[in-house]
Amino acid sequence: MRWATRAGIHIDRAACAWLIRRHVDPDAQFLFVADPAEVPEDATPFDMRGVELGHRGGDCSFETILRRHDFTDPVLWKIAQIVHEADLDDERYDAPEAPGLDVVLRGLSMTCDDQQILVLTGPIFDGLYEYYHRAALLGREPA
Amino acid sequence: MPKPATPAPGEWVLLTYRMPREPSTPRIAMWRALKRLGVAQLSDGLVALPADARTRQQLDWVAEQVTESGGTAGVWLARPGTLRQEHELATAMASARAAEYAEVTSEATTALDADPTTHTGVLRRLRGQLRRIGRRDYFPPPQRDAAHAAVAALAAASDTEQSDPDQLDTEQEELA
Repeated sequence: MRWATRAGIHIDRAACAWLIRRHVDPDAQFLFVADPAEVPEDATPFDMRGVELGHRGGDCSFETILRRHDFTDPVLWKIAQIVHEADLDDERYDAPEAPGLDVVLRGLSMTCDDQQILVLTGPIFDGLYEYYHRAALLGREPA
Repeated sequence: MPKPATPAPGEWVLLTYRMPREPSTPRIAMWRALKRLGVAQLSDGLVALPADARTRQQLDWVAEQVTESGGTAGVWLARPGTLRQEHELATAMASARAAEYAEVTSEATTALDADPTTHTGVLRRLRGQLRRIGRRDYFPPPQRDAAHAAVAALAAASDTEQSDPDQLDTEQEELA
């Protein structure tokens, strides 16, 4: 399936793309457009104004996708808190990881194109998932 | 000889919005979001930020928030007609930040004279405050450096307390 989002991706779109590929559609292909009008008919838009998978009721797009697909995995919701704070910085959650991740993504957006950013951030989100998965099993910070 | 390039006003992103007066919760949520972004209020229902990828996206989401709660909103890219007009806008935004930085400076200075055991807590809060102000500081005023210096002084003072040998002894005793 094809998925489309705004070009010049940052934390929320990178995290959504990872979530879609790992948990929704393993064969997902991603397109980057400058304007919502450029989204092809067969592509599902996300993290754009006026689409279903965007910001909803104070949630960032990553949280919206989790809700739409009824994901209850607490590890994904933990990552959602970090993504939310890195994207919106509204202090809804306590996520001290967010400013660091935000800077990493902003830096990548200066040196890489959108496809490259997806290639690089995939393993970062995999690692975050593993970290918080182990933390949940241990009930404390993993070594 | 070619004439030197005349500086031209930069690009700004504008948000126009109209929201129903009731319910008030979404209005307050929008107002908080705009305050966090440090927008310049140009008139009723019209705010501005210097345009970049982040500010444009943030105003897009505020627009979405407005539409969701039954209002109307639009996001526009625009240039001030004159450099002077842009300068006035930038000056107003800088002085809003200056007031916030001055508040941090005054709190850090007050804390320095207060009970040293309170330093760490105040320091943590003020560092957070500096980070939040920095994110909406598009035209840094001179007060910025003073605020950072005052918080650094508080950090240095609280470092000295922690490496105070008497206090370390007490802490070790408490640990043992």
